[in-house]
Amino acid sequence: MVEHIINSEEKRDFLFLNPQSQDLLFRQEKGSALRLFFIDYSNIEGENRFRVNVEQKGEDCRTEIYVLSFLRGRYRQHFTSRIVHAVGNGYSRQIIRYVLTDEAKGDFAGDVVLSPNAQHIDAQQSNRNLLLSNTATIRTRPCLEIYADDVKASHGSSTGQLDESALFYMQQRGLSFSEARDMLVLSFMSECIEPIADVAQREDLMHTLYSILQNA
Amino acid sequence: MNELLHIEDLHASIEGKEILQGINLTIREGEIHAIMGPNGAGKSTLGAVLAGHPSYEVTQGKVVFRGKDLLSMPAEQRAREGLFLSFQYPVEIPGVSMVNFMRAALNDKRAYEGKEPIAATDFLKLMREKKQLVEMADKLNNRSVNEGFSGGEKKKNEIFQMAMLEPRLSILDEIDSGLDIDALRIVANGVNALHKEDNACLLITHYQRLLDYIVPDYIHVLANGKIVYSGGKELAKELEEKGYEWLNI
Repeated sequence: MVEHIINSEEKRDFLFLNPQSQDLLFRQEKGSALRLFFIDYSNIEGENRFRVNVEQKGEDCRTEIYVLSFLRGRYRQHFTSRIVHAVGNGYSRQIIRYVLTDEAKGDFAGDVVLSPNAQHIDAQQSNRNLLLSNTATIRTRPCLEIYADDVKASHGSSTGQLDESALFYMQQRGLSFSEARDMLVLSFMSECIEPIADVAQREDLMHTLYSILQNA
Repeated sequence: MNELLHIEDLHASIEGKEILQGINLTIREGEIHAIMGPNGAGKSTLGAVLAGHPSYEVTQGKVVFRGKDLLSMPAEQRAREGLFLSFQYPVEIPGVSMVNFMRAALNDKRAYEGKEPIAATDFLKLMREKKQLVEMADKLNNRSVNEGFSGGEKKKNEIFQMAMLEPRLSILDEIDSGLDIDALRIVANGVNALHKEDNACLLITHYQRLLDYIVPDYIHVLANGKIVYSGGKELAKELEEKGYEWLNI
């Protein structure tokens, strides 16, 4: 396991681009801000397991986790996140997006823990999964553990296919099926790309995702 | 005038249930037609079938659009040929901006016509110009397609897209539903401004009110999947007064 300490009042971004299996722990001191980006699109076979633990040990911490998994071929990916709010006045956001095609398999488990001392927490987890083939599968287990009473916490998870009414609407205006599909999928993925600070890197990523999608 | 659309004995079903049961209709350049009729008559189905909605199956008949077999074309080719369907319920597409959507649609049509893609500055100028037609705010560009639009804004946005794409035949499915009187006037003015000698319009509506603003050349009554009566614009008043019963439908 690799451990990172985010010092008091420090702001850190980490970008993991097509990483191998990882087990990570982030400890946040008072007033720190952490943003994690996991972007996984290059594999078409094999298996990776990611575990991300975040502990907000000091008050007034902010944590944002963005996970974009574009899984293809026979690739299998497991992602487990666990955010522990140990003390009060913390904030956390998780945006977890899966796009799966071919026979790829995804497995996501996300846990948010609000300890008894963690009052005035604002925690949200959003997981959406888009299946582009009938043979791809996603397993998802979002979980909230709340032991404090004065908190705002929510999670949501949905899995579906492309919106057929949107596809027809776009085709009616002259877009081809694949053009409409690519536009819808890219906009879905962009939620995890848009917050990346570096504009050039952001554009690079969108471009790469677009060309992979066109050949998918 | 040249024939734009010719429908002959069109039958169509959804999930095995026959909705259109032999439609015959010819629309020429420069004409405005209105289709009225009771709920469930098949009015919206006719629009959806002509636009190539995948849920409907055409079981019989033929449709010729600009001299070509419409029914053999995929939906996007019908659009590029110049067939536009304004949706009764325009779809919200979060994350896809109006600018990107319209640029893609316009350039696909241009490519189909063998033209170069439109230059970025010309495109933005065109957007600005066409937005004025339906009195839409400038912020439209950065918004996602129909996302968070009010009912009236969605209908204006349909007419805006029609203005951008300059179709030859526009099928406007209940363009008046859910509009207050001001929005109705704006939408109708837009449609009238876009009406030219070489294009045509097929209005699908429940209410005579719309036909006070957009005056049709012909009115057809659709019932039980067939056109049972056709007349001139005066038919609207008659239907308003007497309902559909006198037609024995």
